[in-house]
Amino acid sequence: MTLPRMETAGSIGIAVAGEDLRLLPERAVYWPRERTLFIADPHFGKAQTFRSAGIAAPERSHSADLETLSLLIEHANAASLVVLGDLLHSRSGVRDSVIDALGSWRTRHRSLAVTLVRGNHDRSAGDPPKQLNMKCVSPGERRGPFELVHEPDEASGNGYALSGHLHPGVQLGGSGGLGRKTAAKLPAFVFGANCAVLPAFGRFTGLAGVRPAEGDRLAVIADGEVIALNFGRDA
Amino acid sequence: MSGKSPFRLHPLLESWFDQRGWAPFGFQREAWQAYQAGRDGLVHAPTGMGKTLSVWLGPVSQWLDEHTEHDPAAAEVDRTQAEPLRVLWITPLRALANDTLDALRQPIRDLGLPWTIEKRTGDTAQSVKAKQRQRYPTALVITPESLSVLLSYPDAARRLKGIRSVVVDEWHELLSSKRGTQTELCLARLRRWNPGLRTWGLSATLGNVEQAASTLVGSRPTSKPVLIRGQHTKRVEIRSIVPDDIERFPWAGHLGLKILPEVIRAIEGANSTLVFCNTRSQVEIWYGAIMQARPDWLGRVSLHHGSLDKQLRDKVEAGLREGRAKCVVCTSSLDLGVDFSPVDLVLQVGSPKGVARLLQRAGRSGHQPGAVSTVLCVPTHAFELIEFAAARSAATAGTIEHRIPLDKPLDVLVQHLMTCAVGGGFEREAILDEVRGASSYAELSATELGWAIDFLTKGGAALGAYPEFKRVEIDESGDTPRYVVRDRSVTMNHRVAIGTITSDSAMTVRWASGGGKSLGTIEESFISKLAPGNRFVFSGRVLELARVREMTAYVRRAKSSKGIVPRWGGGRSPLSTELSEAVREKLETFRLGGADEPELRAIAPLLNLQTRWSVLPGPDDLLIETTTTREGHHTFLFPFEGRLVHEGLGALLAFRLTRDAPRSLAVTVNDYGVELLSETAIELDGARWRRMLQPADLLSELLECLNSSQLARRRFRDIARIAGLIHPGFPGRQSKPSRHLQASSELFFDVFAEFDPANLLLDQAKREVLSEQLEVTRLRSALERIAGARIVMVSPERLTPLAFPLYAERLRTQTMSSESWRDRIERLVLRLEDAASREQDTLRR
Repeated sequence: MTLPRMETAGSIGIAVAGEDLRLLPERAVYWPRERTLFIADPHFGKAQTFRSAGIAAPERSHSADLETLSLLIEHANAASLVVLGDLLHSRSGVRDSVIDALGSWRTRHRSLAVTLVRGNHDRSAGDPPKQLNMKCVSPGERRGPFELVHEPDEASGNGYALSGHLHPGVQLGGSGGLGRKTAAKLPAFVFGANCAVLPAFGRFTGLAGVRPAEGDRLAVIADGEVIALNFGRDA
Repeated sequence: MSGKSPFRLHPLLESWFDQRGWAPFGFQREAWQAYQAGRDGLVHAPTGMGKTLSVWLGPVSQWLDEHTEHDPAAAEVDRTQAEPLRVLWITPLRALANDTLDALRQPIRDLGLPWTIEKRTGDTAQSVKAKQRQRYPTALVITPESLSVLLSYPDAARRLKGIRSVVVDEWHELLSSKRGTQTELCLARLRRWNPGLRTWGLSATLGNVEQAASTLVGSRPTSKPVLIRGQHTKRVEIRSIVPDDIERFPWAGHLGLKILPEVIRAIEGANSTLVFCNTRSQVEIWYGAIMQARPDWLGRVSLHHGSLDKQLRDKVEAGLREGRAKCVVCTSSLDLGVDFSPVDLVLQVGSPKGVARLLQRAGRSGHQPGAVSTVLCVPTHAFELIEFAAARSAATAGTIEHRIPLDKPLDVLVQHLMTCAVGGGFEREAILDEVRGASSYAELSATELGWAIDFLTKGGAALGAYPEFKRVEIDESGDTPRYVVRDRSVTMNHRVAIGTITSDSAMTVRWASGGGKSLGTIEESFISKLAPGNRFVFSGRVLELARVREMTAYVRRAKSSKGIVPRWGGGRSPLSTELSEAVREKLETFRLGGADEPELRAIAPLLNLQTRWSVLPGPDDLLIETTTTREGHHTFLFPFEGRLVHEGLGALLAFRLTRDAPRSLAVTVNDYGVELLSETAIELDGARWRRMLQPADLLSELLECLNSSQLARRRFRDIARIAGLIHPGFPGRQSKPSRHLQASSELFFDVFAEFDPANLLLDQAKREVLSEQLEVTRLRSALERIAGARIVMVSPERLTPLAFPLYAERLRTQTMSSESWRDRIERLVLRLEDAASREQDTLRR
């Protein structure tokens, strides 16, 4: 039984399109019935891109991200991984060191089926090398009731869309005095009526403030825990 | 120098003075003599009279002495035949450059010298810059940033050899900032190439002129710099508008507009008035109010602040100079620069925050011979009356603020090393020696320099080599390894990124129709809170947001006259140490019954009420008030130490109080005290409060607070930008160099904290928060003062006059909509007014 272990790690459940999903504090979504793990926007190779431009970005963020991903896959005993776009950051970031790291990660999860929904960054970086054995698809691919896209705008309305691209973050705190300066932006899951936006999986990616629409369900990640902000209605 | 005849310039210059009917001031002769003797120095004076010539004619006279063959009637030479570069004139403000050029050119033209005098700032056209690169002018007026750019050319050492002297104008403005540190580093490099270089500074009055001078001349001067006090002929008068009817419960920003009729009367009575406000929002508000009161002044009243379009600002300044302007409402944007002689009245709206600043502003008026510089202070809340009286006493006593130079900021060093690497390269030993020649880096360790070099060559010390990292490379072809940059795009990127002024990303505001003329810039963070159709006040108009495209906000004129005024970041400086102390003294004067000044007489009812409901604290007291309202339990502490110290104190108290018992606290501060709001009462006796306020462990506990708060993370923004982690983008192009290279400073902070925690730039962020944001040195001495103070604890039934502004401050920062805030405050004021007048009635009976 792998599911209970997932649940203890600060995750929460959410019902979407008749399916039960778990939101994981590692910035991923797990679909237990199909043993499928969803992540968006890992942006591997971003630090390398910066460094080739002479900007000092520290090394270990991508190896830490890959290690996290491995642990998630193993804990959940996932059969399938879907990357909702922006696997690689840019062409200049596609270095041997990045591909090697991804390669040994792939070897560790040989039986895992990996699907990449091409995002805007993937289009300029190009599909990952063949030896990584990833199925690359264009946005709009179906998986059960879900339509897999990168940008929320790509959703056709045909199914419930799972997307990324926005790197959603929610500003919390921000009251007077020092409070204003202690306000923090936290990575967030946004579940709208027809479309969900996942937080960016990559650690070196940053957050963009989102303004949720009326009726959106929102969860943030703080201190290794997913915290529902307004699931009250259906919980 | 008694017994000797006064120093005389070259005869041509002496007769130049005679022909104009001028006689040099004594201080000018002192400066020329010191220059001729090969000395460095600093000329300081409260006003600008004659300062420029005192440092300009030294180098001119020197040239004349060296060129006895010079014929003043000779034909003008073109720039390719002119004297090579001899004098650098560093100015902190681009806006000053033009006026400086005029002033410098006058004697040169009159004497027919074969000199060219030009400026080079960020605004200078590329074509002019290119011409200058072929041959620099004889004297170059330049900003610190543009000077760094000159140092970044590979032939810099050869081209900048031959400079005889450097003048730094408005040195007090640069001194305690990273721009000042950058200037120090540039000077250290110039001195290495020009060993006989003379450095002179011009400065306003400062509390620490000796330190200002020694910082300017570097850590290894050949002789002690000469300090010369400039002409001091103007008398300064500080008065206040005292409203007839002082509101009993003042709160920030409200009383001000009630005084509008008096302000209008003052403007009416003068020919030309400058109205100084502390923030850009205040400028918009006051300009709006004045125009509403006197629509007939349309066209003669204008506004001026740093966010407005440059063309508009230039027009306003021209109007002032030519005496066409009746009144200009402005921020510190008009603190500096040439004098506007027609101005005969200066108003200061709100607290001046510092003595020097008030004197500087006062000096903007009264240029007619024998005139008195008058500054009329306008309180925006009643307690500011005490600050005005305090500022007057401090000014009379000559207590002026210090400006302290920074202590080896590593981000500026990283940027400068990069500049040197681009500009022909450097060697490790030589650069360490050179950099230590700058006062701020005199104590730089070889390890720290090593870290900075590693950061540039490897991307970080802790993480070893990254093969793809290319910024500074090591050239091993010579005897000693040289640090150089070979990549052309790295070079170009760096030149664009040079500078230490950072600001929020700003959006241009343009008209949606009619050619899209620019109105100025507003912080992106403000615009992002607006939706199309929302109204806001900017550039003296009520505008409606039409749409946002790229980094431009398109607007149209709003039909309704009500809008929200943007709140710009920054701009809220704390009460200075000197003024805080003067305020405490004023309160004591009042307590002892010496309320003989109009300001103190006016505020007496309020202070008496404070005494009745609570206590008016003496200089050796720390007053702690606890009050309960529907919102919770309020604890007010009143150290009167200025906003920043109180922020540090608030953070420290919150840390210590929540460590003892888990509770959540909201901290609010102003210049007088700290408010802690909690759901459960903080029940401490005097002895336990004393423990909470003890200075022991201050540093380690504040660092712990920093780790858990966002302060250091925010602070990292400037550092990341200066150290080159974040590129500001190319001028004229809205986008960053590549969208693949976009990352926020906060993200860098997080990944460094996680993957490279030993990165010294993180350390610097914490140090800067401690020293600049929380003023830890001031905080420590405040805590030491408090440790010896008597703790006076009172539990008033209602909010007292001292507590109320803090209460209002919290509401103001918590609620976004100004309407509801205003309503709530007004309701509460009415209740408190009521209580106070009922009490008055009882007393009378």
